[in-house]
Amino acid sequence: MKFTPLFLALALPALLRAEEISKGEKLFALHVKPLFAEKCNACHGDEPDKLKGDFDMRTREAILKGGDYFGEEVLMPGKGGESFLYLTTTRTEEDYEMPPKAADQLTEEQQWWIRDWINEGAPWPDDERVHLIQEKYAEGVQLELSEALSEDWQNRRYKPEDLWAYQPLTRPSVPDQKAAHPVDAFIGAKLDELGLKPAPEAEPGILIRRATFDLLGLPPTPREVNDFLAAWEVDAMKAWSDLIDRLLASPHYGEQWGRHWLDVVRYADSSGFANDYERPNTWRYRDYVIRAFNEGKPYDEFIREQIAGDEITKREDPEALVATGFLRMGAWEHTGMSVARVTRQLFLDDVTDSVGQVFLAHALQCAKCHDHKFDPVPTRDFYSMQAVFATTQFAEVRTDWIEGENRNGMKEDKALFQLRIKDNDRRKAMLKKREEFYEAKWFSERGLPYRSVAEAKKAGLKGDQLPQGRLFEKPEEFALGPISKKWSNRFIWELDRYEPVAYTVYNGKTRKPRGNYGRIEMPEDPMKEGELEETAILGGGDPFSPTEPVKPGVLSAVPGGLEYAIPETVDGRRTALADWIADPDNTLTARVMMNRVWQYHFGKAISGNPNNFGATGKKPTHPELLDWLAAEFIEQGWSVKAMHRMIMLSDAYRRSTNYSSPGLLNEKDPEGISYAVFTPRRLSAEEMRDSMLLVSGELNREAGGIPIRPDMNLEAALQPRMIMGTFAPSYVPNPKPEQRNRRTIYAHKTRGQRDPFLEVFNQPTPDLSCEMRDASNITPQVFALFNSEESFDRALAFADRVLKEREGQSDEMAVRRAFMLAYGRQPVPAEIEASIRHWEEMTGIQRGITFEPRSYPIEITRRAADERTGELFSFDEQLRIYEVYEHDRQPHEVDARTRGFADLCLALLNSNEFVYLY
Amino acid sequence: MKTRRDFMYGLGSSIGSIAFTSMLARHANAYPGPGAQALHFPQAKAKHCIFLYMEGGPSHIDTFDPKPKLKDLHLKEFTREGVEQSAMSSGKRYYVQSPFEFIKAGESGADMCTLWENLKDCADDMCFYRGMQVDSVNHPAANYQANTGNQFGGDPGIGAWVNYGLGSENEDLPGFVVLPELAQPQGGAANWGNGYLPTSFQGTPLRPKGSPILDIEPPKGITAEHQRKNLDFLAQLNERHASWHPGHDELVARMKNYELAYRMQTEVPEAVNIDGESGKTKEMYGIGQEPTDEVGRRCLLARKMVEKGVRFVQLYVSSWDSHDYISKAHGSLIPRVDKPIAALIKDLKDRGMLDETLIVWMGEFGRTPDNGVRGDSTAYGRDHNPDAMTVWMAGGGVKAGHTIGATDEIGATAVENVHHVRDFHITLLRLLGLDDNKLTYFHAGRFKQLSQFGGTVIEDLIG
Repeated sequence: MKFTPLFLALALPALLRAEEISKGEKLFALHVKPLFAEKCNACHGDEPDKLKGDFDMRTREAILKGGDYFGEEVLMPGKGGESFLYLTTTRTEEDYEMPPKAADQLTEEQQWWIRDWINEGAPWPDDERVHLIQEKYAEGVQLELSEALSEDWQNRRYKPEDLWAYQPLTRPSVPDQKAAHPVDAFIGAKLDELGLKPAPEAEPGILIRRATFDLLGLPPTPREVNDFLAAWEVDAMKAWSDLIDRLLASPHYGEQWGRHWLDVVRYADSSGFANDYERPNTWRYRDYVIRAFNEGKPYDEFIREQIAGDEITKREDPEALVATGFLRMGAWEHTGMSVARVTRQLFLDDVTDSVGQVFLAHALQCAKCHDHKFDPVPTRDFYSMQAVFATTQFAEVRTDWIEGENRNGMKEDKALFQLRIKDNDRRKAMLKKREEFYEAKWFSERGLPYRSVAEAKKAGLKGDQLPQGRLFEKPEEFALGPISKKWSNRFIWELDRYEPVAYTVYNGKTRKPRGNYGRIEMPEDPMKEGELEETAILGGGDPFSPTEPVKPGVLSAVPGGLEYAIPETVDGRRTALADWIADPDNTLTARVMMNRVWQYHFGKAISGNPNNFGATGKKPTHPELLDWLAAEFIEQGWSVKAMHRMIMLSDAYRRSTNYSSPGLLNEKDPEGISYAVFTPRRLSAEEMRDSMLLVSGELNREAGGIPIRPDMNLEAALQPRMIMGTFAPSYVPNPKPEQRNRRTIYAHKTRGQRDPFLEVFNQPTPDLSCEMRDASNITPQVFALFNSEESFDRALAFADRVLKEREGQSDEMAVRRAFMLAYGRQPVPAEIEASIRHWEEMTGIQRGITFEPRSYPIEITRRAADERTGELFSFDEQLRIYEVYEHDRQPHEVDARTRGFADLCLALLNSNEFVYLY
Repeated sequence: MKTRRDFMYGLGSSIGSIAFTSMLARHANAYPGPGAQALHFPQAKAKHCIFLYMEGGPSHIDTFDPKPKLKDLHLKEFTREGVEQSAMSSGKRYYVQSPFEFIKAGESGADMCTLWENLKDCADDMCFYRGMQVDSVNHPAANYQANTGNQFGGDPGIGAWVNYGLGSENEDLPGFVVLPELAQPQGGAANWGNGYLPTSFQGTPLRPKGSPILDIEPPKGITAEHQRKNLDFLAQLNERHASWHPGHDELVARMKNYELAYRMQTEVPEAVNIDGESGKTKEMYGIGQEPTDEVGRRCLLARKMVEKGVRFVQLYVSSWDSHDYISKAHGSLIPRVDKPIAALIKDLKDRGMLDETLIVWMGEFGRTPDNGVRGDSTAYGRDHNPDAMTVWMAGGGVKAGHTIGATDEIGATAVENVHHVRDFHITLLRLLGLDDNKLTYFHAGRFKQLSQFGGTVIEDLIG
């Protein structure tokens, strides 16, 4: 790929003579005019029909005239300090603060430009002269971009530091430091600059825990800890390096790092909106991502497959078809109430923005209605990128199973699922009978010889001679119809879960969508039916206001982007886009991915907003390090695993979280960007659940396959929830412990019904791309972890396991085992003593409690208002899974001593040491 | 280690609470939240808001906006034009008259259908607004827009913004309480989420049945004393651990959270218990009577929450989506809410709290003057209408006793004092002393605000 120079070189015009330019003119051309364009004209000029306060700022004369609220006092040439044009910007005039949004307020310097310009007589040179002055004197740089909506925007200047991400990627030389590792050299240089010494290396016991959670999302087992400590004694660096290799080879690595990716792409197993239908096949995309990480798929290939896998493999590789499911990860639906062009546009906007955020760290939706306020992204670029997807259509297509896909348990799950269908069919049959009864009754009451509407119609009756509307009498009869109909429809679609169907796309014409109530089949001839979409810039982002047509293209701010050609053919647009993104010369791609990888290792990104490399994103704290990593990433063949290894071998990664003089650290590094210490973190929601299952001995490490359904707080699971026109069926768990006690990444993720345990521990909503998780510290987390049945179950299984493993041994041995499992370390003597004391005391209390076996609802009665009648009705839903449900270990099955020990285990699982990682 | 970011996010969260927004705020009046340095409009009267959300889209034509013209047009064919065709607006359609009679209520002569037997007595305290329009004809998108300002889920709920702006009055209760029905609305909890605001601002649903907050009680058989012992042991573990990590402030915050949670276990069930209310009060709200019991309990609870300093209470009543049989559907829904809502207004007034409590009643959109023929039956109902609706407000400094704005003669679209819902949101914030343009939060590349892109205050709604 050939790149043109980034910045426009401008010839100095000979026409302009410096002595002719007044101070006022210069202020106007360089500062005041651009400021008006950026901050004022949106309300005072861009739309002459809709001037706010009837105040027009497009010309000097118009300003002098004033508006509804101010007259000539707005602009009094020579009297800057008294002119309201200046005063309003100082925000001292109540109710007339300008611009109105506090977030837009002018800096003091900007306010003074206006004041000083007025003091200079408020000169207003014409556009040509402004242009000449700007060329001669303007600071900042201009960019050669695609055509903007306005000329002012086109001529806008950028601070060079805001354009860091468009600078060609070169491999910076490693600073001259004593450090052997390049990462440490870059970090060491910054530490020197800040005048800080790094913290010492963390203890090996801490390190194995840090690395195992980092790469696998699970704690190390006691044996793994012991082996590592022994190896560390012999050769610390070899032990560390071997550990990283072992972890990178684990199948759990892909589960942990795949999860990070799924956060960014907004993975879910349902479609959101009114119906929140299940997406029965997205799990194959989830497994694709996990496999990609585990197999060490080069990142450039990973990009190509997700954006254009279908095109590249000519639809022959099921894996690639599954991969392009990425394009459809956003919430989407089309119902009978939807407007076709609106839902189509919803997809187009979503996929454009998603590709922008995920691969390029650009929130492109900001440029949907107007040229980007801060970044060099003209609206044209938004629609050019969108044009790439103009021929992209949805389909769910049958493929072969992919090697490595887990099909275990499908048959059993399907059999159970069919029970739900049967129950629903029974409900439908019952309703049909009621309907027949009422119809017969209606005719007989009128002395008519018919038994049904069908019969009467046959006999020629119509209109008023037939019953109007449904003849039901009771509210539940009205309500059950839509419920059973909707449920049939959902259940039948959900049977696709067990089929080798790919949730994917194809290229072709845009057909008028039908109500999206089932699999979208790919047409035999994708060019037969529908309209070949031609993308245009949409006025105000409105699909009904197309303006100028655009060709497919890419971001023009990225070097080479302006010239990059994307074919206008039906096929191949996405391949060309993917090639551009995955090109080593794209200045964004490698930086974006390395920034993400770094963030997950260290808990903070080098550039603080991994989805936003624009002017408003946080600037890189270590720009050269980021560039070096990006360059190295490409040189390593886009191998993510190679980069993990490299980063984790640095001293910076192995540093202690403690600092000898915290005061000094706070003073020299108030923002915590020095990497003088390692930053501790709270476990993620998934890590917490998975770790609890691992230490309790209940975790089934099986990988992949149809979504699992863990136990969910029963009240939340059975919480009725509205879907379009009716209620959704209840959530039911898998019947067997080994089916449901698997890693959380495999849990069914329904947009409209999140698992409260995961949600409260900040599992992000799949409605937004999550660049970094929150780790809040809120009270409901205590309820979830300290009070819930799930936590009690884990603690009990944990206790049961330990006491069985240490049967016939001393209490101390049991306590030691529990600490080792939970913390990966032996307890100190005081902990042993306190633990044994607590265990004894709780055993005494437990002796006084009689536990009953827990009961599970095989049938639940729902009560709600029906929207047809407005009246309350109730109906029964069968939860047959509970007929065969095998519960986890329960309190009534074990003795008081085990339960007393479970109290201790519950405290361990709730403790800070279990929940925080150092 | 605390980075600056942690600190900013931590204003509410690291101290640890659902929305116990700040320890500093203990029972202080109008403590400005982290979003507002001080009240933007100190003269504002409303300090709390009770938002009565009628999910499904109540029909303005059959509640507060009579259209006699429809009597003449009844069953005549109706045609709709325009490019934005959905299934709803296509096919054969006919006009539908309202099955209900209307009266002029109060001295102000507000239009109300006769089913509002109790609310009619409050007419002079209410301000009706007929000029509002929304963007979407679809429930979830319109729900999200009404509740968060954005048609797509994921943005902060209004209550989250209000708490972000006003802060908390009671550290032991969440500042944003949601009183849902047993069934979650379409779009679910994203209607009251914190979005990109810190988690501490999210709405806390107090469940109408079962435990008010999930897992607020431990499993059966576990007593408070039992828990106390486990907590004490846990504290020992945590204290030792904290001594090994002296620089890590979060550890202490998390320990405090366990103590707070332990207190809440007794306090929250007390706060939601309405047994202590007088028989007269319960009677007034329709508690113990049908069909008002369920909504009545929640309206009374809303008053209690506001009394205890909760900033924003949102109460959901669903099933207003009367595509068929409007006489039956609205005919039984209105009596479910009429008495409880009237009681809420009167009760707040009697207690001198109405002035500082803003009550809002609205759905996600209004309904059409016409209906489509479905199958071969005519089940007189109405479809969704984003162009016309009625919302009303009471208390909190609104222009009581007035009807603002108007729809055309068939109620198809707003024609007078027309504003987008974003302007209504801005007005709502204004009544609470907040300026939408100043109540912003930086996220994903720009300063975001409830109205999305700004707008104007509907001055006519302000008293």
